[in-house]
Amino acid sequence: MMQFDKHTSAQYNAELEAARKNLMQMGGLVEQQVEDAVNALTEMDTELARKVMSTDDNVNEMEIDIDEECTRILARRHPAASDLRFIIAVTKAVNDLERMGDEAAKIARHTLELADAGASATHVIDINMIGDQVRLMVQQALDAFARLDADSALRVLQQDKIVDEEYGAAIRALISDMSQDPASINRALGVMWSLRSLERIGDHARNVAESVIYLVKGKDVRHKKVEQVEAQLKG
Amino acid sequence: MVFLRRAEPPQSSSALAAASATQSSSGFLPGALVDRPRLSARDISVYYADVQAITNVSMDVAQHEILALIGPSGCGKTTLLRTFNRMNDSVRGCRVTGNVIFDGEPIYRKGVDPVALRARMGIVFQKPNPFPKSIYDNVAYGPRLHGLVDRQAELDEVVEASLQRTGLWNEVKDRLHKPALSLSGGQQQRLCIARTIAIAPEIILMDEPCSALDPIATARIESLMRELARNHSIIIVTHNMQQAARVSDRTAYFHEGHLIEIGTTDQIFTTPEQSLTEDYITGRYG
Repeated sequence: MMQFDKHTSAQYNAELEAARKNLMQMGGLVEQQVEDAVNALTEMDTELARKVMSTDDNVNEMEIDIDEECTRILARRHPAASDLRFIIAVTKAVNDLERMGDEAAKIARHTLELADAGASATHVIDINMIGDQVRLMVQQALDAFARLDADSALRVLQQDKIVDEEYGAAIRALISDMSQDPASINRALGVMWSLRSLERIGDHARNVAESVIYLVKGKDVRHKKVEQVEAQLKG
Repeated sequence: MVFLRRAEPPQSSSALAAASATQSSSGFLPGALVDRPRLSARDISVYYADVQAITNVSMDVAQHEILALIGPSGCGKTTLLRTFNRMNDSVRGCRVTGNVIFDGEPIYRKGVDPVALRARMGIVFQKPNPFPKSIYDNVAYGPRLHGLVDRQAELDEVVEASLQRTGLWNEVKDRLHKPALSLSGGQQQRLCIARTIAIAPEIILMDEPCSALDPIATARIESLMRELARNHSIIIVTHNMQQAARVSDRTAYFHEGHLIEIGTTDQIFTTPEQSLTEDYITGRYG
């Protein structure tokens, strides 16, 4: 079991713990942002959409703060082994979380545009299922980070594959709608962009999960199929 | 450049093969063995009277590699280093069991001359220890002692080449006959390295060579080590883990006289297999 609180230097323990705590805090904020973005879209709640967009500033600030913290630790502590992998994983996860925040803000922007175009909640109901799954992925990826659990991280990778498939099916359905009802093209495009953002959030959650696997197992599983990762983790 | 004697290690050595065969049944640590080793320790144990300082260490040193030995104080890394060139012979009550095989020959066999051995395996210590002689005489000492050169011109050439290789030549060429002790600490250490390489050893042992030096002098020595590894194998004992990470190709971690883990430095410093190694290099030890 990896332990980040057993260094001879208590100050070093505190620095690593602060980085971990701040990452989790940022994760919580982004998780809420994604949830709010999906709810704002499916319920056409413009007020909630504006809140999602304004939260993005906080997320960006946290990204900079945590990166600074990690740079300081690298410069002053020269971390090695699991400590080094931890710092690398944190800086990568922070980057992914920030991008998730950007995508959530994009969904919020599309919500406002769709609302302006007179779309109602029924037009965007398809997004609910993917939204729920992606939200769960973000939550699980952060959970896996908090508990240093490579098995949970692997489940995020497995789920990403399902989301990708559902995303493909949803896009095909939207294209078919558009061809049958050209008047719906504008609205359908808004939904399509939002679906794309959700799919990307799923990809970033997958990246976070891959960082967790690197942190815990020391194995780089990027750009590999889920089956290959499963085999690599067993081996 | 006049560099003398460069014995290539044999393709296969019966002594090594025999040692390997007896050991392989008990198993080597992964990463401990290399192809065509320059030096091999097989089942080495070292005792100081009743105290066992090293327990059953088996590992190889490759040609042209920099191998770092790391571990907490008292883990046996310096003892092992001194075992490689039989410097422990002069320590009363010290007993070595097992084999050290250097270019195919067991060095603890009867009839092996430790002085001749040390000419092929130079050592650099923690504190620069130039002789109270001139800069020139320090470097010329070994070649003269071992009768490696016949003519003065040849000796001049060895001295210049050795000082060139340690990057000291331009700094001292106008005062070669000034006392070595007038040099700065970093220069003195490079002089000691020049003195070591003047006798063209095949292996250079370094025992904390930078611990008394400032960061600039340390960087010079580290850069020099990389340069020297083209012609020599280097085994360095260091407490400075960043130094091990910076300069070595492989790293061996020792704990209470046992070799715990050995592997590429990249692997040891990013994904060590053993929790003892992990705890030490991340500062969780003790």
